[in-house]
Parts: sequence; C-alpha cells; structure tokens
Amino acid sequence: MFDFVFHKKKFFTISGILLLISILSLIIFGLKPGIDFTGGTMLEIEYQETSLTNNEIKDVFSNLDLGDIKIQSTGEKGYVIRLKEIDEITHQQILKLLEYPEEKKFVSIGPVIGKELTQKAKWSIGLSLIAIIFYVAWAFRKLSKISGKGESWRYGIGALLALFHDVIILLGFFSILGAFWGVEISTNFITAVLIVLGYSVNDTIVIYDRIRENLLVYRFKDMAKTINLSLNETIVRSLNTSFTTLFALLAIYLFGGASIKYFILAMMVGVGIGTWSSIAIASQLLLFKRKK
Amino acid sequence: MERNRLWTIFTIIILLTLLCFLIDSPVLPTWVPGHTWFSKQNIHLGLDLQGGTQLIYQTDTTEMPAEQRATAIEGARDVIERRVNVFGVAEPIIQTTKAGKGWHLLVELPGVKDVNAAINMIGETPILEFKEQGLPREITTSEREQIKKYNQEVLIKAEGILEQALKPGADFTALAKEYSEDTGTKDNGGDVGWFSKGMLVPEFETAVFENLVIDEITPELVKSIFGYHIIKKVDERIKEDTGLEIEMEKPEGVKIETEPVKEVRASHILIMTQSEELLQQQVNWQYTGLTGKQLKTAFVSFDPQTNEPEVSLEFNSEGAKLFGEITKRNVGKPVAIFLDNIPLSIPMVNEAILSGKAVITGSFDLIEAKELSQRLAAGALPVPIKLISQQNIGPSLGKISVQKSFIAGVLGFLIIIFFMIAYYKKRGIIAALALCIYALIVLAFFKLIPVTLTLAGIAGFVISLGMAVDANILIFERIKDEEKLGKPTIAAIHDGFKHAWTAIRDSNITTLIVCFILYYFGSGLVRGFGLTLGIGILVSMFTAIVVTKTFLELAVKD
Repeated sequence: MFDFVFHKKKFFTISGILLLISILSLIIFGLKPGIDFTGGTMLEIEYQETSLTNNEIKDVFSNLDLGDIKIQSTGEKGYVIRLKEIDEITHQQILKLLEYPEEKKFVSIGPVIGKELTQKAKWSIGLSLIAIIFYVAWAFRKLSKISGKGESWRYGIGALLALFHDVIILLGFFSILGAFWGVEISTNFITAVLIVLGYSVNDTIVIYDRIRENLLVYRFKDMAKTINLSLNETIVRSLNTSFTTLFALLAIYLFGGASIKYFILAMMVGVGIGTWSSIAIASQLLLFKRKK
Repeated sequence: MERNRLWTIFTIIILLTLLCFLIDSPVLPTWVPGHTWFSKQNIHLGLDLQGGTQLIYQTDTTEMPAEQRATAIEGARDVIERRVNVFGVAEPIIQTTKAGKGWHLLVELPGVKDVNAAINMIGETPILEFKEQGLPREITTSEREQIKKYNQEVLIKAEGILEQALKPGADFTALAKEYSEDTGTKDNGGDVGWFSKGMLVPEFETAVFENLVIDEITPELVKSIFGYHIIKKVDERIKEDTGLEIEMEKPEGVKIETEPVKEVRASHILIMTQSEELLQQQVNWQYTGLTGKQLKTAFVSFDPQTNEPEVSLEFNSEGAKLFGEITKRNVGKPVAIFLDNIPLSIPMVNEAILSGKAVITGSFDLIEAKELSQRLAAGALPVPIKLISQQNIGPSLGKISVQKSFIAGVLGFLIIIFFMIAYYKKRGIIAALALCIYALIVLAFFKLIPVTLTLAGIAGFVISLGMAVDANILIFERIKDEEKLGKPTIAAIHDGFKHAWTAIRDSNITTLIVCFILYYFGSGLVRGFGLTLGIGILVSMFTAIVVTKTFLELAVKD
C-alpha cells in the first residue's frame, strides 16, 4: 500500500510550484482574449490557382484604412487575416479587392457580444462552483452526523479548493501559450474550463465516496489511515479512467482538425490536472487542521 | 424466476438496441417496416460541420412598454423566419436569446452559399409600426440648459451671417443657399414668394410690412418661434382680387366688401433655434402594439378620386382588432404609419375602422408603391434590428471537419474499447458491448430530439464516452474488491454494483449540474455542447446500471 498521506508535503510542493508559475504568468502576461471577447474580424481565405502575395493583400487593406491588420499565411495559397469589426458592405468590398478567393471562414463580431460573453462566462463558472460545493456538502451530509457538525462542508470546501487549483493552472497554462505562441481564448475555452470543472469534481467525488464508505463501514478513528486506504482502493480506477479519456481526447487532438485543437488541449490538460488534484489536493485537504 | 427476469431485461435491451440501430442507420432497405420514418431521421450538423452562416441581430425595444417586448421579439423572429424560408434554406434556425437587458436574434443558415444576398434580404425587411399621439412631453432641466446653450451658439452664428449679408454687394441669394436652414426656401435663394398679412409668423410680418422698404435687409436679426431670420424685402403690390371664389347665400341687407390686399414678396435666411414650446409641440408618437407582425398582406391600389397609387394593408384578426381599438380612441386625431422609423404617412382618423384594412397614401409613383407593397407582403418587422455579428463557414472547411472529426471520434471509441478489453479481459468485452449500445442510444437521441452536432459536440460525446467507461471501471473495480473478500461471483457483482452506485450517482450529478449551467447560460454552440454532454451522462448511467449489470449476471449464470 502506497502511503499517500506520508508524501503529502511533496504533493503540495509540486502543486504549489505549478500554482505559483500559473499565477505569475496570469499577472505578467494575462490571457489573450480572442475576437469572441474583444470583437473583431477573422477572415480565412484560400486561392485556387494564382494567389495574391502577402504584400498585395497588405496593400488592399491599407488602402481601405481599416486600422491594425494581421496577415498570416496558411499553406501555400491560404491566408488568415485579422482586423477590427467590419460591416457587410466592407466585407464584400474586401472580397472584391482580394479578387474573390475561396472564403473558408469569415467571422465578424461586435464588441457588444464580447461583453455579454465575458459576463456569461464569469456567471457560469461562478455558479458551477457554488452549485458543486453545495451539492457535495449535501451528498456527504451523513458524515456530519458521525464526525460532528460541519464535517460535510469540509468535503465541499475541499472539492472547491481542488477546483480552484485546476482552473488556475489551466488558465496559467493558456496564458503561457498565449504569451509565447499567441494562443487566444475563445468561447470554446470557457466551455472546456466548465467541462474540466465537471470532470475534476467527478474524480474527486469518487475518492470522497470511498472515504465516506470506509468511514461509515469501518468507523476508523484515524482519518489519515482512512484516506490512505481509500486512495489505494481507488487509484486504479482513477488512472484507468483518466488514461482512457486522455487517449480518446488525444485521438481528436491529432486527427480532429485545427479549429478545435486548443479546445481539446485545454480538456487534456484539465483532465490530467483534475486527476492529480483529486489525489494530491482534494483528499489531503480533508486532513487540514484536524484533531487526531 | 431470477433467470426469467434477467432474460426479459436482456430481450428489452436487445429490442431497444435494434430500434436505435434502425433510427441511426442512414438508409434502410424497403422491406423494413416503417423504413420511411426511420430514414427521415437525420443527424443535424452544426454550421462548423456543414458550412453556412450565423448572423446575430441586436433588436431595439427601448421604445415599447416592457411587457410587450417579448411578444414583439417573437414577432420579429417569425417575420425573419418567413423571409428566410422564401430564400429556400434547408433547416434554418432562428432563435431569440436574452442578452443583458435586450434581446438578440440568432439566425443560422446552414449550407447557404450567397451569404451577402441572405444578409441583404434580411436587412431589407421593412419595419412597420403604427403609432398614436401621446401626451406632450415634460421638459427636463438638463434639456432646458441644453436648449439655452444651443441657442447662444446659434445666435453667434446668425450674427456672423447677418454681418456678411449687410456688407455692400453681398449676394443674399448665395448666402441663403449656403446657410439657411429653411429647407422649403433654401434652394431658391430664400425666396418665400408672395404673401399677405396673416400668413406668416407675426415677427416676420412686422418686419416686411412695416419696417422694410424694397431691397432692404433687416439691420438686426428678427427672432421668431422658429429661430433667427435675416429678411430681405423683394417687392410689394396691391392685389384687388383675392383669388378666392366664395359663393354663399347672402342674407338680405348684408354687403360683402372686398378690400384691396397688400402683398409682399420677401426672401429670408433662417437659422433655427430650439425652443421649449417647439419641443413640447413635437408629437410624441407612441407605440401601439400594432406592427408588421399583424400584417396579413399588402398590395397596390389606387385612390378612387385622384387615381394616385397607394399601398393597401390588410391585418390578421389580431391586427384588425388592435387597429379597430386604436382608430376608435383616436377619432379626430392623427395616427402615424412609421416605415423604417420614419413617419411615412400621418392620416387623420375620421371614424373607427373595424375592417382591418388600412391604406398608406403618400407621394409615391406606381413603381415605388409596388416595391413597398412587395416588401411589406414578404413580412414587416415589429422592431428595428441591427447586424452585430456574422460568422460564415465555407462548405469545404465544413466537409474536412466532418471527415476529420468522424475519424477522430471512431478512433477515440476504438481506443477506449481496446483498453477495456485488454485490461479487463472477459468483462472488458461486456463493457465494450455496453459502450456500443451506449453509442447507438446516444446517436438515436441526437437524431430524435434533435441535437445539432458541432465540432465541440463531438468532443463532448467523446468525453461522455470516457464517463460511460468510468462507470464501468468503477463497477469492475468494486466487483474485484468484493471478490477479494471471498464472496462468490454473483454476490460480488451484486454488492459491487451496490457500492459503486453512490459514487456513480454523486459524480454524475455534479457533472450534470455543469451541463445544466452550460445549457442555461450558453447560446448557440455552447448550449448544444451542454445538451450533448448531458444526454451522454444520463444514457451512460443507464447503460452502466442496466446493460452492464444484466450482461454480467447472465455471463455468470451461463
């Protein structure tokens, strides 16, 4: 039997370092919001035969006086162009001046939408966290009867802190990706964060459930021993589940097309971190300031 | 007994699987009963998978009473849906979504090629509103101050123009053309034409009839209710014949005396001011609830007297009732017909109109009348809308995405099955079977509800696969534990399920909470994702508890 509780400090140190890097990166670089949030235009085009050169495209836009333009080539004849929000008339004008390439994707989003999206994202993440902590406290209410008042809230708060841990590290990871590789945050990213919340708490609860059961069945007085036993009993399941999910996600990451690559990456990172935090953080937090 | 029960459940599961398989199959041979219905069930692909366009419109409901907003937005939705259907798009989605204080209209046109034409067509939708006069409005202190400030600026400007006009050799006509704000006379150099006393505002008349001689310009600004005038008297004459032919019965002994009338011709430059009275006199047109929403049809007709073309409107029963009420309470008062926020015609109501028919008269020619009636007949909006977001996905990109995500999804599925069989051997095969049934059921739900499948939705499906596997793994691990305690297999399976259940229940409920929040707060793609994942979790609980358990128990008995 592996003594998880004995290695508690090591787990906390690893998580602490990850958290520190994430928080520092979030403070220094922040997240790079995509046009879903800021408003703006993204145009993805591809030429069939003869293609305009990068400079010719640049000229088209500088003549139209549309502010900051970012042009990025994709493949031999394709370009991704980013600029501020435009209306449909300007859009048609641009296509004409670009000599009608194949328009693979065109997105133009007003700033109003972005504001609402940010609002919604904050609300949904906040509400999810609150709903989860309440549910956990309710689901584990039996423990309050044996181990004293407020015991079930310990589980709720433990799950919540583990979730904060996961979300912060996930955000930190993407803030580093944003700073060095220009990865932007989109609506899909928010969805990924929420899914990771769901997945991670799912994992945590399976372990908590075993702790609850062991406490109720064996009536161990020693909490550390109970946690250790429960973690050892659930570790195979935790790893098996995480690995199958990660493999399946990896398949989508590798073969599923470019547009959801970062969405899948966010979920992979989240699933990994979520599994880690259930074992290394959420369960260990149950011991916090507990009288032996 | 127990054995019979198990076989009954097994048969039900097989029948259910068969049913789902039939729903899932894209094409069925004709000998299958009900094959037409089964073949009709399609997977709905999102825009990112099949290409198309998504438009988001902001609606402006600030003018109408709060309780009527929701119905007006619904009306707008219906009108746009009608329009889009005319355009011939397969399976368009038009949704209203609450956004902050207002409402948005989300229009999804899958597979549409000419996005520009679609946008123009929706943009051409006229906004038709019938409004009645409200009470004169109160003027706020800040408005008062604004008016004062504005008028001071106007005065300075007007004095500057007067100075120019008084310069020797100044061209009054040119100045009027440049500066005058009287739209009626501006273009002909400020010429008001011939008029006699009593026809214009008193300040203006005092200036031309009493103070000015011919060709003289007012030395100072003349202030009237409209603003500051700079007036030049052009000519004057005495007219004997008033030009009016009045025939009336004259009572005996009364003589009608016709006096010669003095007429003056003048030009002026008007610099308009704002005044509280004017602001108060401005009609405060009020929302009546009668809009394009209740319009049944529109066509060109002709005024029987003048033979001028006009546009006839016919309301539906709700509109007819509303129109009846509006005209009833506004007899003797004007009712304005607003088109695209501009009062197009303001007829006086003579009597209540209960027929549900109205006529827009205006100075349009036949072609204009035809165009307007066609636009209105295609549907008129009850609220103004503005395009704030647009997203087009080309068909080729969608096609690539479908292929790629299909391969990725199948691959993910195979990896999971491979892992389960490799790790749990015989029981792994049962889990793999349960997963296949899971996939068939979920797919059938996607088709029946229907769920619009997107790229993110496919990822959600794979995640839910992972969770379905998780339930199986939990159960298998528990059974192993029970077996270690020395229980016989059948008891171990029974207890293993019992103990795994609380974990499966609690962990899945928390994820369902997240799904619910995604569904409730999200819009478009996010919403679909929440639904996909939620269905996946519910079905995965069912397959783990019912399918896996039955199969395991049967495997032991045989």
